[in-house]
Amino acid sequence: MGKMKYGIGMRTQYAAGTDMHVAFNEQMEQARLAEKLGFNSLMKSSHLAGHPLQEFQQVPFLGRVMAEAPSLRLITGVVLLSLHKPLDMAEQLATIDVMSGGRLTFGAGLGYREVEFKAFGTTSKERVKRFEENLIAINRLWTEEKVSMSGSHFELDDAALSLKPAQKPTPPVWIGANADAAIVRAAKMADAWFVNPHQKLETIERQAELYKRALDQAGKPFPDDLPGCREIFVGNSRTEAIEAAKPFLAAKYKVYHQWGQDEDMPDDDNDLSLDYDELLEDRFMLGSPEEIAEQIIAHNKRVGINHLILNFHWVGMPQALCLESMTRFAEEVRPLVEQGL
Amino acid sequence: MDYGLLIRSQYKAGDDMAVRFDECMAQARLAEKLGFSSLLKGSHYAGAPLQEFQQIPFLSRVMTECPSLRLITGVVLLSLHKPMDIAEQLATIDVMSKGKLTFGAGLGYREVEFEGFGTTQKERVSRFEENLEAIVKLWTEDNVTMKGSHFDLNNVTLSCKPLQKPTPPIWIGANADAAVRRAARMADTWFINPHQRMETILRQMDIYKKALDGENKPFPDEMPLMRELFVAPSRKEAEDLARPYLEAKYKVYHEWGQDKAMPKGDDNLNLDFDDLARDRFLFGSPDEVTEQIVKFNKTLGANHFILGIHWVSMPNNLVLDMMNIMAEEVFPQVEQAL
Repeated sequence: MGKMKYGIGMRTQYAAGTDMHVAFNEQMEQARLAEKLGFNSLMKSSHLAGHPLQEFQQVPFLGRVMAEAPSLRLITGVVLLSLHKPLDMAEQLATIDVMSGGRLTFGAGLGYREVEFKAFGTTSKERVKRFEENLIAINRLWTEEKVSMSGSHFELDDAALSLKPAQKPTPPVWIGANADAAIVRAAKMADAWFVNPHQKLETIERQAELYKRALDQAGKPFPDDLPGCREIFVGNSRTEAIEAAKPFLAAKYKVYHQWGQDEDMPDDDNDLSLDYDELLEDRFMLGSPEEIAEQIIAHNKRVGINHLILNFHWVGMPQALCLESMTRFAEEVRPLVEQGL
Repeated sequence: MDYGLLIRSQYKAGDDMAVRFDECMAQARLAEKLGFSSLLKGSHYAGAPLQEFQQIPFLSRVMTECPSLRLITGVVLLSLHKPMDIAEQLATIDVMSKGKLTFGAGLGYREVEFEGFGTTQKERVSRFEENLEAIVKLWTEDNVTMKGSHFDLNNVTLSCKPLQKPTPPIWIGANADAAVRRAARMADTWFINPHQRMETILRQMDIYKKALDGENKPFPDEMPLMRELFVAPSRKEAEDLARPYLEAKYKVYHEWGQDKAMPKGDDNLNLDFDDLARDRFLFGSPDEVTEQIVKFNKTLGANHFILGIHWVSMPNNLVLDMMNIMAEEVFPQVEQAL
């Protein structure tokens, strides 16, 4: 299975009215701690027009945070690829890769929010087509001298990038996928399926089978790195962790539900409006160090996930609580997992 | 007087960009140390054969090297983009830097860029104007609804507003007369570009002032002027050292079609080197450069000089040397002369 790697998820989401420069300093502190604790990576998500939540934008944030965490890989989790122009994304991400010394992992996903599609002059109907042609174009721009390609919303005419990525042939490409069709796409078009934090482990298990069959169809091996993302809180016990995380995590998932995230999830696991207590079953990693270590081992053994991006911070959570959870994870959970694998 | 450093970050094909990145960071650190006021980064896409870092991630990274300096987008090629995207990204830069962003915007002129972004030359003015309008709305209002020709804002409130209120300063880079008028109408100031001679700018300054009057706006407190610079202990040394870099640089601009964007009478960039230097660049000994800066200040009211010290293929040490000469010999002399 390979050694377990860990990343911190940096959604950088704060309540309306929060002083965002203070929030920024907190985020930098989390990144520095992740570096100190020997995490392998950090991940920045992407949302635009995020009100009522406030958050930092993905590309500038990664550009800035790389200076605080020089060892960590920098993951876009995910670029909402359907919104963008491939020339733009290819250029921006190549710059991030070169400036960081070749640490970018390019995670991409479809996006699902109407307000975003509209603001980018597109629609949700076009999202799959745009996603696929954009990804093809980016790969070509990264690997070929000059690219000519006629897309549905762009034209590349002998275009040659200002800068190629440092990593060859390209930075690793992950596709974040909730729905079955997207998982098949991940098998065909990416280096790895990036398992999202919203689904229960049993759903992911089912989808992993689908993924393996799609890989076989595509003639591709199971990836060395299978990444997944989970919400996490390390407490003294399950009950205590659940209660401590509740105000922040429940609020966050209410917003996801309002945004329509669950419309993108498979039929057998797509209701994010559930009560918090139902929601956390088999989905969030909340517990004592032993319980969490068990869950991580289960994710590794049952699905093959060996690069786990952990979301320690949610809207409204005090910084000290987040840092403590991160530290306990590194000191108490991580060694237990190593022993158990 | 304020001085800004243009970080050109344009390098030849095949250069090791990891090494060049370190060199750019060294320039930024020196600018901070020498008391420059700002740092400016341009934007080009599909820039091969030149290699270059992208504006937004670069400004985000470099801010750690020069925390006192203002960070200027010089310029965002606004016609290419979606306004919500730019509004969000620049707001993040403004907050992360604790309110240091200056938003310079311009039209752009390269076909490969328009096509790559799914638009055309023909649309560039209308897109520029509606994009700028949308960005200002998004920065200053909640629940923005606005239907553009290529975007639809439906009750949008940004993820993060800029720190600076009501907005970061807005500069419009303008070469052509119509764009100068637009700068008067829509921006906080006109960002004078590096390519034109004094006489052209004088004529356009007149247009600018009249347009300001028409809008009932005062002459701006900040009047930025970008100039290519080459300074050496003597004029002769400057000419000998600069010649190869200068010629190469303007050849690329000409190939890219930059001269089509400039007013008649001043649109042939493929001129003789000496001719190019006359009244266009800051060029020569420290005394000469001092005189030239003072002249631009007295004639045009320019008071924020963005210095294009680094030209393609120029060794980094030469750039740093010139920065030092400026700080030690030119800046103090200019202060005295004013």
